[in-house]
Amino acid sequence: MRTRPLAKLAAIGLVGALALTGCGSSDKKSDGGLSNSGGSKSSDSYTIAFQGPLSGDNQQLGINEVNGAQLAIDQANKSGDLGFKLKLLKADDIGDQSKAPAAAAQVLQDSTVVGVIGPAFSGPTKAVAKTYGDANMGLISPSATNPDLTSQGFTTFHRVVPADNIEGVQAADWLAKKAKKVFVIDDLSEYGKGAADVVRAQLKKDNIAVVSEGVDQKTDDYGPIATQVAQSGAQAMFYGGYDAQAGKLAKALKSANFTGIAMGGNGVKSSVFEKGAGAAGDGWYFSCGCLDAVTAPGAKDFTTAYKTAFNADPSTYSPEAYDATNAMIEAIKTAKKDGSVTRESVAKAITGLDYKGITTTIKFQANGELEEASQVINLFKQAGGKISVVGDIREQN
Amino acid sequence: MKRESELSVQLKRLGGCLALGFVLALMVGKHEGSQRDYGFAFRQAVFAPRIFVFLGIGVLIYLLIIFWPRVTPYLQRPGVRPLAAGALTVVAADALLRWTDSGQIEGGKLGAMSKAAADTGSLDFLTRAFFGSIVPGTPWILLAVVALLAAAAIVLDRGTLAWSAAALAVLVGLWGFYAQASVRSFLGAPDHSTGALASLLGYLTIACSAVVVARSDAEHADTRGFVDRLFSWRPGLPLVVLGFVTGLISLLVATWFSPSNAVDKVYDLGSRFAGSGVSALTTAYVSWLVYALFVACVAVAGAATYLRHKALGWVAIVLGTVSVILTLVVLHDFTAVAAAAGFDGASKPWKNLGVGGWLLCASFTMLAGAGWIAATHKRADDVVAADLVAGDSDHLATTSANFNKVLLFVVIAGALFYPPMATPFWQSVLVSQIGIYVLLAIGLNVVVGWAGLLDLGFIAFYAIGSYTTAYLVGALPVKPPEWLILPPLAAIPFAIVICLLAGVTLGAPTLRLRGDYLAIVTLGFGEIIRIAANNNPHGFTNGPRGAINIPHPSIDLGFFKFQWGLEALPYWYLLLVLICVIVLLFTRLENSRLGRSWAAIREDEVAAQATGINTTRVKLLAFAIGASTSGVAGVFFASQVGVISPDNFLLNNSILVVAYVVFGGMGSLPGAMAGAAVLTWLPEFLKDQVPAEDRQMWIGAVILLMMIFRPAGLIPAKRRKAELSGLEKPASAETTAVPAGEGM
Amino acid sequence: MQDFLNFLVLGLTRGSMYALIALGYTLVYGVLQLINFAHSEVFMSGAFGSYLVVNLVAGDTFLPWYGVIGVLLLGMVSGGIVGAIVAYGLERVAYRPLRRRGAPKLAFLISAIGMSFFLSQLAGKMFNRQKNNFFPEYFDANKRIIEVNGVHVTLLQVIIIGSALAMMLFLDQLVSQTKLGRSIRGVAEDAPTAALMGIDIDRTIARTFIIGGALGGAAGFLFGTAFGFFNTMGFIPGVKAFAAAVLGGIGNIRGAMLGGLLLGVVEALVPSAPWGTSQSWIGLQWTDVVAFVVLVLVLVFRPSGILGERLGRAA
Repeated sequence: MRTRPLAKLAAIGLVGALALTGCGSSDKKSDGGLSNSGGSKSSDSYTIAFQGPLSGDNQQLGINEVNGAQLAIDQANKSGDLGFKLKLLKADDIGDQSKAPAAAAQVLQDSTVVGVIGPAFSGPTKAVAKTYGDANMGLISPSATNPDLTSQGFTTFHRVVPADNIEGVQAADWLAKKAKKVFVIDDLSEYGKGAADVVRAQLKKDNIAVVSEGVDQKTDDYGPIATQVAQSGAQAMFYGGYDAQAGKLAKALKSANFTGIAMGGNGVKSSVFEKGAGAAGDGWYFSCGCLDAVTAPGAKDFTTAYKTAFNADPSTYSPEAYDATNAMIEAIKTAKKDGSVTRESVAKAITGLDYKGITTTIKFQANGELEEASQVINLFKQAGGKISVVGDIREQN
Repeated sequence: MKRESELSVQLKRLGGCLALGFVLALMVGKHEGSQRDYGFAFRQAVFAPRIFVFLGIGVLIYLLIIFWPRVTPYLQRPGVRPLAAGALTVVAADALLRWTDSGQIEGGKLGAMSKAAADTGSLDFLTRAFFGSIVPGTPWILLAVVALLAAAAIVLDRGTLAWSAAALAVLVGLWGFYAQASVRSFLGAPDHSTGALASLLGYLTIACSAVVVARSDAEHADTRGFVDRLFSWRPGLPLVVLGFVTGLISLLVATWFSPSNAVDKVYDLGSRFAGSGVSALTTAYVSWLVYALFVACVAVAGAATYLRHKALGWVAIVLGTVSVILTLVVLHDFTAVAAAAGFDGASKPWKNLGVGGWLLCASFTMLAGAGWIAATHKRADDVVAADLVAGDSDHLATTSANFNKVLLFVVIAGALFYPPMATPFWQSVLVSQIGIYVLLAIGLNVVVGWAGLLDLGFIAFYAIGSYTTAYLVGALPVKPPEWLILPPLAAIPFAIVICLLAGVTLGAPTLRLRGDYLAIVTLGFGEIIRIAANNNPHGFTNGPRGAINIPHPSIDLGFFKFQWGLEALPYWYLLLVLICVIVLLFTRLENSRLGRSWAAIREDEVAAQATGINTTRVKLLAFAIGASTSGVAGVFFASQVGVISPDNFLLNNSILVVAYVVFGGMGSLPGAMAGAAVLTWLPEFLKDQVPAEDRQMWIGAVILLMMIFRPAGLIPAKRRKAELSGLEKPASAETTAVPAGEGM
Repeated sequence: MQDFLNFLVLGLTRGSMYALIALGYTLVYGVLQLINFAHSEVFMSGAFGSYLVVNLVAGDTFLPWYGVIGVLLLGMVSGGIVGAIVAYGLERVAYRPLRRRGAPKLAFLISAIGMSFFLSQLAGKMFNRQKNNFFPEYFDANKRIIEVNGVHVTLLQVIIIGSALAMMLFLDQLVSQTKLGRSIRGVAEDAPTAALMGIDIDRTIARTFIIGGALGGAAGFLFGTAFGFFNTMGFIPGVKAFAAAVLGGIGNIRGAMLGGLLLGVVEALVPSAPWGTSQSWIGLQWTDVVAFVVLVLVLVFRPSGILGERLGRAA
């Protein structure tokens, strides 16, 4: 009986707090008056939407990307030579195709949105790319790597990362030069298994013995798999998965005394791996369809700016999202120069882009993939706790 | 047991309240933790002046608890509850809801809109004044004035004060509504925002409370009795009033048609479509027929309910139904003409509609519903006679039955005609979140709520249903034989059969297990199914990539063809049909022999067995029936989204469905549906309120609060309610204190 | 053979961690007959809490052996304290009000789930949502203590298994020998009668939560040292430990220990068989399936776990 009033009061307190947040968040200064012509045609403010997982199990990847996009937009707004203002709309799809249509609807119903960064994951992309295509909304995905995506007839889909298969084939060819027996591990995720399967197939084609295992990416204890790798007598190990888990694997491998070559893909090469694996990550190789963060122009500035803005290290796909957003801004600029900024004109401008970003040169083929020339796979290596480029993977021995 | 001293009790309480304030400070705000500095977010949240606001909230709550005994007498006065409800509604409307959908105003909430509108010179004075061109924060000041006036009227018990509060509340409510409407017509774009409407409703509730204060001389409020009297005076009449108000809004202020840059009311349509080739019916409809129909429906339904005339009731049903059909025909006709003629922005039939037409349809539906209540109502004398025989508790049952009937028709009208009014985003949420999970919750309710078997792997059946569909339509790497490839909807019976079998397969080895043992085994089963799908044995499931390109459903009956596509709305009606069929079947089931057997094994398995119930069979049936419902949901899901992968069937989803069922009220069908609807709606609503990353945290808090303060759920099952409170006191289910240890 | 033994050591390490967490489930189940679903978050809080303390004290420096022991004790104690506080708060907020209202059993489960969502996401908001937080490397975790014929046991493994065993023995003694233990057993056996005998039930339940929370928090520290920690780290070990508790017979302390060790060993051994150089027969991607299949098989033959239920009887 005694707790009943407490109950009601707590509820009231909560509502009050909610009201406070409402007030707090509504304090943002708006740009003065309204205009009554409707739509985005006359106003000089455009919105770029981001669609990706901001909550749920995969939220960290989405946060990495949305931060990259946010940074690009903030920098563009600050630079002062845009001639218009940019806003970012965050549409959370939880990385889940069943929630993607709602996120897409949220993006499409905002008439100021002229382009989308995303969808971040392949499943949601498959679910909504056609809807976006019907609305002439240009898409640039920083991370949807499923090879099937560009053969589905999605008219406005583009991506700034190479599909799993290209990266995997070249990584496998390189491994084939180094080892007679390769242990290939995937993290059972769509990206990781996709990449690892390509490596396995190519290694078998190169007549290399392959041992395969899959370890769920939610696993914390990589002891058994590391021991298995060490005992298998394989001279090399390839991991298809993401950076945080690869860091744990690296530690476990060291603990199990594995002395062969360890290698990861695009998803592993990040400062999160450097930090997570620490000294255990030294000697790891990475294949990545990206430029070197040290030598590429602007990349160093990006890392510094990112750290300042979000108090965190840029992680998997942050640079890609940054590039994709800058490319989108470039497309909006082009559209503006050629006339009016609409979804159609921006989508058209994307197809004609030629933008040099910090990870790659962004120039799209008709199907939405990057030009072959931009799809150079580089080999990276960690030494002394830092990842640096070795060179084009096809030219390495 | 030691007695604690009064001081230490008070200190503990204060500490608890301050802790609550502290936790709120951590929860509210945009701060986000960082790996480079673990104390970063904490410092932002706590080492800032804002902490005093939150601690202040804590102290305030503490003070309220202290002074609660002094406040309670006032709280029981008539008018307090509606005042609180109204004021909270207005607060929610002003702080949380969107006031406009226009992209020009970021977030679209009142605060942002006020700033923009107050600076816009071309709006009229009254509008700008409401949005704070004279005094910033006008809406909040107005609310405070109205609420304080009403509160003063309650405390001082002065009639004049009360009447003036009522008048002021109505005026302020209308003022806000008007201001928003004028901004809306200024912006000239279709709008689906609900803030202004909710605020108006809140103010009207406050006004009602003030009227109650002025009129009532009772010392204690008797809300329940009041509602009962209101709804049983002329059964169905409240529905007529609702229908009338809805219709008025539709005809006078709502937008009917809005290609780009235009918002046509129904009376504008005549001139817009003059000579553009619309049918004679449409011309007649927009010029006079619509008003005639509306007046006729209101008159007939009103007369039928007021006079309790059965024949008139049937007339109202027919009239209402015909009006709905006519309205739909007209809506289709003029949108089709507009699309063909290429009015700017008009794209397809059924497109570019405002809310007006649908609102009127809802109004007609409610009026027809009122007719139905009048037509099927037992004569009042009979009811009174029955009361005399059956005693007081039955009387209660009839009156709340009146209320439930009204509610039923409001729900029907809403389910049919709310979705087309909603934005595409909410349509999509309705279909792919709310609808699907309602279906799943209905299925799980059989297992958990009725049979009392805790199933933490329910999502596995959903997965099985989805993968069955994917296989049968040929979207998996392993194709079925050519003759078996089916369209998606035809997969339903197969999915049901396979899920039935899977349910029995899971059930059979686990029948001996009880309670938590069953929970972990079902959990394991769910994980096994997901992992198997992910690991792709024999290349059957395509692994984590899942099945892509599952075709959308279609119906071809020869005379009627329909192909579902990418748009969400048509799926809603398919889903509605599925849900209705299943709910009808299950309501029959609940009170059948089988349903009673489930209740028996839930309460006491040994006793149930002793009375001759075949517990094995009954349990297996519960698993199988629940599973098959889930299978139907799976078929729908697979063919709606078109892409499935093992990641859709995580353990977390299983746990969530259990949470939905218990949140709604275990064992109660409407409860399970309401629970699923509320908890799937909530995250989407929270998206506009808190950072997207924090939504789960708030949902966790809401679930926790709900279980603390209303452990039986939103809509407790009657049977459960009786267990909790004892049969003789149906109203006080929450307050019964059970000694520690006995509740389990 | 040495390969097999290596995997066995890995399994024992994993299993002793499961066992420590499982004790929390089983203790609460004993007194309340409820699954404390939020126990995984107690575990997570212990990891974060001990990290904050250890990072403050040890920093990024390599410590001498006595320093290592000191830090380990500090970590376990601080993790245990944080875990105990969170568990106590959990009992007060998510369980006691429901008990007072005589809520149905499932309501407790759901309030615990709500609490679990809330705590893990709040921790994410407060600290971060990355999945790679690591303790400072204050000792060489890979140092091999025992190495015979290719079978090796690292320092970290020794620490984990050793401290887990010590804590389990301590708990076993606590429950069977002390007055507090008697009251816990009393409440587990028959709460109303225990109340008549003068045992304060609310207080006993709160203390049970505190003990379970302390063990969970210390386990959080050990787990964090070995595998890193993050805001949703509790979920998977929580589910596994729950399975382990059921496997051994929920409500039974020795059962939880046995179940935890058994589950850990099965998970490490079975999917990696034949432990040699060739491709494994089952494959690590089936690890969880193997664990659950073993659980189901055991339960089919012994429906109330290996050692049977009841805290009162078996401990």
